[in-house]
Amino acid sequence: MSRLQLKGVGKSYGATKALRHADLDIEAGEVHVLMGSNGSGKSTLSKIVAGSVRPDMGEILLDGKPVSITGPQAARALGVAIFYQELSLAAHRTVAENICLADLPSRGVFVDRKALEDRATRYAALFDGVTGDDFSPDAVVQDLRADQRQLVEIMKTLASEASVLIFDEATSALDRAQVERFFEILRDLKAEGRSIIFISHRMDEIFAIGDRATVIRDGEIVGSRQIGETTPAEIISMMVGAQEEKAAAADATPARPAGAPVLSVRGLTGPGFSDVGFEVRAGEILGFGGLHGQGQSAVLRALFGANPPTSGGVELGGKPLHPKNPRETIRQGVAYVSGDRSRDGVVSGRPILENVMPIHYLRERMMLANPSALAVKALPALQALRTKFAGLGHPISSLSGGNQQKVVIARWLIDRPAVLLLDDPTKGIDLSAKADLFSLIRKLAQEGIGIVLYASEDAELLDNADRILVFNGGAIRRELTGAARTRFNLYQAAYEAA
Amino acid sequence: MASIEAPARIRSSSAVKRVFERYPFLPALIILVVLIALNGWFQPRSLSLVGVTGLVKTYLALMLLAVAQTYVIYSGDIDLSAGAIVSLVNVVIIGVMAQWGGDGVTVIAALCIGLATGLACGIVNGIVVAALRLQAIVATFATSIFFTGLALYIQPVAGTPAPAAFWRTYGGRILEIPFVFYVAVLFAILLVVLVRTRLSLRLLAVGDGQQEAFQSGLPVTRIRMGGYALCGVFAALAAFCITGDTASGDPLVGGKMTLFSIAAVVLGGSALSGGYGTVVGSVIGALIIGFINSLVFFVGTPSEWQNLVQGVAILLALMAGVLVGRGARA
Repeated sequence: MSRLQLKGVGKSYGATKALRHADLDIEAGEVHVLMGSNGSGKSTLSKIVAGSVRPDMGEILLDGKPVSITGPQAARALGVAIFYQELSLAAHRTVAENICLADLPSRGVFVDRKALEDRATRYAALFDGVTGDDFSPDAVVQDLRADQRQLVEIMKTLASEASVLIFDEATSALDRAQVERFFEILRDLKAEGRSIIFISHRMDEIFAIGDRATVIRDGEIVGSRQIGETTPAEIISMMVGAQEEKAAAADATPARPAGAPVLSVRGLTGPGFSDVGFEVRAGEILGFGGLHGQGQSAVLRALFGANPPTSGGVELGGKPLHPKNPRETIRQGVAYVSGDRSRDGVVSGRPILENVMPIHYLRERMMLANPSALAVKALPALQALRTKFAGLGHPISSLSGGNQQKVVIARWLIDRPAVLLLDDPTKGIDLSAKADLFSLIRKLAQEGIGIVLYASEDAELLDNADRILVFNGGAIRRELTGAARTRFNLYQAAYEAA
Repeated sequence: MASIEAPARIRSSSAVKRVFERYPFLPALIILVVLIALNGWFQPRSLSLVGVTGLVKTYLALMLLAVAQTYVIYSGDIDLSAGAIVSLVNVVIIGVMAQWGGDGVTVIAALCIGLATGLACGIVNGIVVAALRLQAIVATFATSIFFTGLALYIQPVAGTPAPAAFWRTYGGRILEIPFVFYVAVLFAILLVVLVRTRLSLRLLAVGDGQQEAFQSGLPVTRIRMGGYALCGVFAALAAFCITGDTASGDPLVGGKMTLFSIAAVVLGGSALSGGYGTVVGSVIGALIIGFINSLVFFVGTPSEWQNLVQGVAILLALMAGVLVGRGARA
């Protein structure tokens, strides 16, 4: 009998359907793999089962009985625990406290420190020898490395002793020895009859640990396969679906004469990426592809000087560039547009004009601003993007997300940059604004600006990039050019570990 | 050369760092010791038994209120009504004692009613902030006005005296030892006990990240309400001490203590953003404020300058604490 069953479970966020009518069966004693590309609905499904997201519809059955999972606490009581991809640790508490936090051993109203230490030590001991230096139950979580934190989240999930365990990208920061140990533990749990839902973006891991795989695409369950009876290629085909292959993308982007290199990067290393090297020519759109958080944004932010790299060489137009802080790189002609408008782009609560001008102020070292003279410079930049706005004096918050992003991009158009770094620039904006943005980006490329585009939507990359570098684990794994720029190749490179 | 020496230096500095991380109140403790020394330098009598008794008697209320505030700040919340709760409990117990006569039994009954009042105020704050999810800073500002209004209704003007049995006990001695020292010892024991509770740990976990705590399966709303309830109880205890010290009822007595209590928490090394701090630090923070005030008096600052000098001194203490902490952790 199935341990966990989902029947017609759906969840919408506004107009976006994150998950539609999902049916899923998880057996006792199996490792069930969920596969799908960025934003396909894997995490939404996991969080619904774990109680931290409430579904809009559908039914969940545990051991054949319908249950109502009202929250994470209720899920725990029913025997469901989850490893959160973004972790759920208290940074200032110790490893031991974090492991036992959900269910503190206690005597009356007091914490039973002895029992707490014992329990934490028991789960920490599972990873003995692979935890690395300075790891102990009384270490404070914020002092730990990323992989050690991920291990703590794993221990915390294991300590729930739940019968359904969900691991949402639990191995992304772990090294090989840690993954091996983790898989040994999973096999033991499987032998005990626990059910495990396993999400990973490493194809080799999936084939090493999985019993069955279910593929999700655009919030819909495409199908399930026994791991023993399938191949990576079949799984990737399921993820891609019967969509039109985009080799035709080569026609959509007219071949441009390759200009001189404007940006060349050698051996760039920093937090989240290592030994990244590439070259962007004038008039070229270079795409960064792969799954979320494989180092694409980190490289762009490093080049902009927002999170400076630790080593490596960068040349901009033949001259060395030392990206120490954005002020320096902007003055040398680097432009950066982030998809996270509220954090990196918009000066909220200020008029549109003031949102267009800061880069101009910086590059011209202006001390005084004359609004009417500046308006003459701002208007053409905004019109080039077909920005819809009532007046330059209106607050930026009066605009839609797409138009806000156009304002943010317009600020880079007054003084031409040599290279434009786009960090998932269309996140959360509507289709027509997207089309406007990409036609502008192509036009800028034709005018000779070198462009680096990271897009989390694969279609945007395939439609617009002349070359695509696929990232995995903080390094470039593959370069796709010409007719090789297909969705299939992109997925394969993104999912297969190097 | 440098590369050979480096590892040893790193190890020793990381040991210092660990000590400071483990005891975030150490910078405050250093400042307190300096202040005590300065007090002794300018007025040796301030460190005599009488001097210390007077200081403890006056600042016990602030210490208790700083502890009250700490539990709320643990979870990343804040309570701007803590001082108003002190005022309300003050007039309530004075009113009850005046109504029922001032013998020992009524005093104890009045104190129980006072504790219940503080607890009720804390629960009201908890409901408003944690259950109704209003902004803590504005919501507790509103409840502070409400509590002050209640206090003014119960006793419109300051002045009703406390029964002699009450303040004579508070200011008196038992077995030749001043009563306030017994209170201080009980207070210390209470804090040690509370540090070991589940609530303390869970409040800190919530302060580290509400979303994470919720996802871990913690009852976040209930935990935050627990913090406010505990704050209300400690505010009531602070009210008892202030009543013992002033020996009268005053509907506005606690108002200006609120921000001092927050300052004490920050001086003690706790993070206003939550998740990090100690109650011991808050007690030390309250003592720092107390010793600054007495030092300003002992060095002979003219009365019209005292507030100004106090303000500057608190700022300096805050800066020194930040610098010492940063230096040790770097």
